[in-house]
Amino acid sequence: MKKLLFLLLPLATISLYGQETETEEKEEVRVYGGFESNIQWYLNDSGRGIEQPVTPVRSNNYFLINYQYSNFTAGFQIEAYEDNALLNYNPGFKGGGVGTYYLNYRNNGLELTAGYFYEQFGSGLLLRAWEDRALGINTALRGGRIQYRPSNNVRLTGLFGQQRSGFDVSEGKIYGFDSDINLSSLFNFEQSDLSFGVSYVGRYEKLDIPDPSFNELTNAFAGRVNFIHNSFYVSTEYNYKQEDAVLDVQNRINNEFVRPGNAVLINFGYTGNGLGIDATVRRMENMSFLSEREPTFVDATSSSLNFNDKVLNFTPALTKQHHSNLANIYVYQAQGKVDFIDQAIMKAGETGGQIDIFYEFPKETLFGGKYGTKLALNASSWYNLPGQYRFAPAEYDTDIFGVGTKYFSDYNIEIKKRLSDTWLTNFYYINQYYNTQWLQGGEPVNTDIVTGEAIYNFDTTKSIRVEAEHMWADADRKNWAGGTVELNLNDKYSFYIWDIYNYGNDDSDRQTHYYNIGGAYRHGATRVALNYGRQRGGLVCVGGVCRFVPESTGFTVNLSTAF
Amino acid sequence: MPSVTLKSVNNKTYNVKNSFDEEDKLYVFTFWATWCAPCINELDAIKEHYADWTKEINMEVIAVSIDDTRTQKRVKPLLNGKNWPYTVLLDTNQDLKRSLAIVNPPYTVVVKNKKVVYVHNGYSQGAEIELYNKLKEL
Repeated sequence: MKKLLFLLLPLATISLYGQETETEEKEEVRVYGGFESNIQWYLNDSGRGIEQPVTPVRSNNYFLINYQYSNFTAGFQIEAYEDNALLNYNPGFKGGGVGTYYLNYRNNGLELTAGYFYEQFGSGLLLRAWEDRALGINTALRGGRIQYRPSNNVRLTGLFGQQRSGFDVSEGKIYGFDSDINLSSLFNFEQSDLSFGVSYVGRYEKLDIPDPSFNELTNAFAGRVNFIHNSFYVSTEYNYKQEDAVLDVQNRINNEFVRPGNAVLINFGYTGNGLGIDATVRRMENMSFLSEREPTFVDATSSSLNFNDKVLNFTPALTKQHHSNLANIYVYQAQGKVDFIDQAIMKAGETGGQIDIFYEFPKETLFGGKYGTKLALNASSWYNLPGQYRFAPAEYDTDIFGVGTKYFSDYNIEIKKRLSDTWLTNFYYINQYYNTQWLQGGEPVNTDIVTGEAIYNFDTTKSIRVEAEHMWADADRKNWAGGTVELNLNDKYSFYIWDIYNYGNDDSDRQTHYYNIGGAYRHGATRVALNYGRQRGGLVCVGGVCRFVPESTGFTVNLSTAF
Repeated sequence: MPSVTLKSVNNKTYNVKNSFDEEDKLYVFTFWATWCAPCINELDAIKEHYADWTKEINMEVIAVSIDDTRTQKRVKPLLNGKNWPYTVLLDTNQDLKRSLAIVNPPYTVVVKNKKVVYVHNGYSQGAEIELYNKLKEL
């Protein structure tokens, strides 16, 4: 506990410091930033046969501060992973130090950045430098960037950098150019909006294999068009990655397996009064784009790829993000890369789509009732690319249209209904197919998940939320049941308790309860949350990107504040 | 506010520092996401009072979506059923969220004369009244 208190100390001093600086130099210099700490105390759990790690108290801490003066902004982020980072976090994040720093100058049209910066071109299929602390991702580029906006309709970006990996940067040198041009005012559009963009990303990495059959510099290009007309919109993007070595079964490159990659993304939809329809189709082939061709090995079974490290682009799973606990057991991760596992399982990418329909039954109608009824339908389905595959020597030839082996599908319906001023109810039905065999090894699973949720308001500030869920699964760990009770006392305090129970497991020793209890206190920009419970091993996902976490039991403290 | 340039859902460009600079006007930046139920509840609740509040106070709500490209396509269809009277900005690579050190939405920042005058995180039912009382004081 002493250690926890020590970690709390800097928080107090930091927030004081932030306030002082602001009042002292209120004229010109502005100071802002924040502090975040995620602490876990891992315990022994004899019920599940889990032994705590050698260093049971672990924490990830981030302190970010920015100074703004006139047209200049500068800042840095200090990170500390003591004693060690949270379990199964990217091992590059070890100890402490300055993680990122930058200096930025901007006037009306021009913006210059030196140091670390984050960036995304288009939808990120070629380049996205970003941070997600829960996932252990920080792929900021260290170098320089110029952004120029001659008018509100044109934005040009040029950049050079090396990608952050742990407290260092990776070998590859990254060059990028992006443009974003809006043509609406040129054509005097009033009801419509038309814009387009082209991007280039180059990665240069020295090769040490003899007589390489591919270039040290890998070029990638993308073009995109975005059109809105009244209630209709459509956008499309095409990405092409030049020929480059493909990772083989051992995650090594050679001269024999060299292929280009490409990705197509089409999105269109309609939004009318009370009705919204959105559809996305995406096909990706060999779209793994790393800042170093070969991943670094951490141990016998995992490499930097397992930690989303040295990844240049962003290929999120296009599926619905569910909030039900049970609907997050079989989560899909996009299969954008070439991945040959054995004679039977050979993947070159993925193809598929997703559709969303939102509809609100108006008040005072049959289905609408007194308060209206909200309906959301979502369906997504993802497949391997169809074509010819050969394991050794590795080769593939894909078809542009059609689908191969199914990876995953999710069909779901959500109904939201207010019954009275004090009662709000939600109902969800989700049907999922998860091809475990192709995605991670094991038996494919079909699931049906039903969730009912009710929120009752005692008065204007106090409310209680009760949720019950059940999952029928035909394989793997079979059936689950779960429940949640959440209490909001006022705007400051909230408490919850939940449990999911794998009662259907064929192995009676593994019919585990995963219970969690906790609460949060909020004030201003500060939030403190405490949790005790059991963490289910598996994927923890944020925005379609996932991190694997092992089974654990213990206390978690999350602190965050901003100034 | 940091000088970050974002696009609105209608594809218009805004600089969060310079585009919202009317003297003495209160700009209420509310960070939300399509997958964040309390965020949507908060913006729905403010909408109920919005006409009254804006009559009484010189204020404007700017709803900043922190959805990344995975869920951003859901912003538009979701907005339509809601008829929110707000300017909706897209912080797709979370540049604004990051520079303000925001960890979780919902998160509200009130700006007056280019200065942050009030910050609040989280939302539970009824908290919009507290926000309204605060805005009256500012």
